Amino acid sequence: MIMRTYRRALIGAALLAGTMMTPAIAQMKTITGGFDVGPGGLQGNFNPMTAPAGYTWLSTYFEPLVTYDAGLTKLVPALATSWEISDDKLSYTFKLAQETWHDGQAFTADDVKFTIALNKNPKTASLLSARLAAIDSVEVKDPRTVVVRLSRPDNALIVSLTKMMILPAHVLSAIAPEDMAKNALWSTKPIGTGPFKFVRYETDRFVELAAHESYRGGKPKVDRLINRYFANAAAAISALRAGEIQFTYIESDDVPTFKGSKDFTVIEGASYVANYIGFNNQVPLWNDIRVRQAVMHAIDRNAIIDSLYKGAAKKADCGYVEGSLIPKGLDAYAYDPAKATQLLKEAGWDKINGTKPITWLTYYNNPLTANVMAAVQSMLAQVGINVVPRALDPAGYNAIAMSRTSNPADFPLVYAGLQNGPDPGTLNLGLNESQIPPVGQNFLQIKIPELNAALNAAVAETDQAKATTKYQDVCAVMNKTLPWGTMWVANRYGVASVKLKDFVWTPAPGGGPFAATPEKWSIAP
Amino acid sequence: MLGFYLKRLAAGLMMLIALSILVFVLLRLAPGDPVDAYLNPLAPLSQTEMDALRQRLGLDRSWPVQYLAWLSAALAGDLGYSIDRAGVRVLPLLVERTGPTLLLMLTGLAMAILLGIASGVIGAVKRNSAIDIGLGLVAFVTISTPAFLNALLGLYVFAVVLRWAPSGGMLTPGAPFSLSDLLAHLILPASLLAVVYSALFMRYMRSSMIEVLNQDYLRTARAKGVGEFAVIVRHALRNAILPVITLIGSTIGIAIGGAIFIESVFDWPGMGLLMVKAVETRDYPVIMGATLLIGAGVILVNLLTDLAYAVVDPRIQVR
Repeated sequence: MIMRTYRRALIGAALLAGTMMTPAIAQMKTITGGFDVGPGGLQGNFNPMTAPAGYTWLSTYFEPLVTYDAGLTKLVPALATSWEISDDKLSYTFKLAQETWHDGQAFTADDVKFTIALNKNPKTASLLSARLAAIDSVEVKDPRTVVVRLSRPDNALIVSLTKMMILPAHVLSAIAPEDMAKNALWSTKPIGTGPFKFVRYETDRFVELAAHESYRGGKPKVDRLINRYFANAAAAISALRAGEIQFTYIESDDVPTFKGSKDFTVIEGASYVANYIGFNNQVPLWNDIRVRQAVMHAIDRNAIIDSLYKGAAKKADCGYVEGSLIPKGLDAYAYDPAKATQLLKEAGWDKINGTKPITWLTYYNNPLTANVMAAVQSMLAQVGINVVPRALDPAGYNAIAMSRTSNPADFPLVYAGLQNGPDPGTLNLGLNESQIPPVGQNFLQIKIPELNAALNAAVAETDQAKATTKYQDVCAVMNKTLPWGTMWVANRYGVASVKLKDFVWTPAPGGGPFAATPEKWSIAP
Repeated sequence: MLGFYLKRLAAGLMMLIALSILVFVLLRLAPGDPVDAYLNPLAPLSQTEMDALRQRLGLDRSWPVQYLAWLSAALAGDLGYSIDRAGVRVLPLLVERTGPTLLLMLTGLAMAILLGIASGVIGAVKRNSAIDIGLGLVAFVTISTPAFLNALLGLYVFAVVLRWAPSGGMLTPGAPFSLSDLLAHLILPASLLAVVYSALFMRYMRSSMIEVLNQDYLRTARAKGVGEFAVIVRHALRNAILPVITLIGSTIGIAIGGAIFIESVFDWPGMGLLMVKAVETRDYPVIMGATLLIGAGVILVNLLTDLAYAVVDPRIQVR
């Protein structure tokens, strides 16, 4: 009896404690979101050097020197208040902001020098290593000035620097480069300069940040930011509808359920990701350009965009869709099954492959992509190309298509995407022969000399106007030589609660970074 | 009797080793390399550095050597380190996740047992009445509905539309621990886990009870003046519950699978979610450790079921 009474008292006390804690929590202004949901997010990744995505969240507590504005149209200051590029394009001088690290130490030019050296060192597994190869030396002029000297002009360098989060030398210099990639420090006590500072990571559940009160952009308007983890976008949508989170990425087929809602705002933007049918150049199926042309003519891209994307995608006739990069006279590869059949006949497709099944891999695991691939499968079947879609989880896809031990016969065809902006030079990583792994991302082993020349000329051009013309040349060569069957660039979406004020988000590729100004975000009660 | 249990225990250990070999081989046959999950395949490491990394992770050795190294360490209580979560030992990780899974599974099962047995007894006692037909219909619908549909419908109706319970997680992110918060998060996934099993238990309980209610000894008890409630609870239920106990024992193994599924739908941070993530990242040591732990749990529960069977019915003897 006594035990029973004791137990009841204990449970009662716990319940009471729970109830009493609620007002304290309510007093703290907190924004909770699914900031790492969708293709721009990367749950469980805390190291900004090895992050191919997840920058929306990472840039709430880390900062680069420069970043894109929220419209992804121009570069704006971040930790560098200004920068100058010398006339010969070989010297970049950055003036640095007055800021303190989250642990109270002063941020100086030495941290910038340290971060560049860290990212250039391949042993750290930094994905920026190759992109910073043109940097010859870094000179610290004074604590607020740093000069980056190049061995050759590289007009993509400044864009690469938007992805390079500045890291604290006083914290990381003690760690050996080869132990850096997966060091526990990243998920336990990372130190940044951003408007929020790291509090804790509850494994597989959420990451909590607290306001960096002395932030140079002003004390953040909310006390805490919480990034909740979800198994998929659908789970995040449930939490959003239930009022548990205030923001998440959503798939395009969920947009109609939020449009017109008085409780939510739909945010729409270009994905800057070109989706393509990738021909593996290590297998002989696609050597004849007439076969690649036939693939293009066999697919009714307009119908797919209208019926499956509901118009929220732009047909791409090369790697770009942005108007200034599109030259006149491109072949539109209009839907023409008869022409596709004729081209296959001329190429001798019966002898090359005939109707034998061709595995078509993708890492996109969502209903929309499944429907798109099924539609393409049936269109290609009509002209005699028998593709079999196979969606894999990222680990499975990487092992088959991206690993250094890959067998080319296992991935004759892929459906994938590659970032094509805001800097058009990013396409170079997947298309130039010089970017075949492990240097770059040209895992389809595309080797087209005319395309290499066009890309090299565009990437090396430091004059903006001339560079645009040279990227038009890249587009024209892509359209003519078909290194990929480029399909479209789709829009992507996020949904925010109307309770959020001054919230800035854009569906940037890899999640950004962009000037999201998280210190200004607030939430209505 | 003791010899029987020792034999069962030995057989269970053999089954565990066989299970671990099976999982070990299947994992290696699946596409996906833990090194690619550990580091982005496009990381600019040279082949020598990649080889050194593979060696450091113990992935350069032959399969039998890898397996025997794992087994000998596991027998000594060391399940190694997670590949995906560098520096994190597998055993503490599993122990940390066992609590939430047990909480969810046992709450769900307890609710299912209570509901199932009570409604089974009512159905049998009030045989062919409106209440019996109603309960039967509910059981039929819940058993016939796929578990994923139950879970997703429950999530949508009770969390999204009615907002009676949170849509996922075990505690409110960022909030300090409170029992009320935990219970609020627990009630929906546990109830949905309970729904299917309670229907199963109810059907078994009802048919077993009907059989027992026709026995002569119950008539004798009533003739001796024992009250109807006591007749049903003390005399009929005790005999009728035997097959249900067996069912409960064998259901625990299945319930672990159910809990894993529910955990994925509700982002419940237990073993299920851990395993799903470990499979996605090809985190071999975590998958192996979790499989071993779950397998050991199922075997132990089966042994305990045998024991409970003998306790409830002393007539049962094993030679």
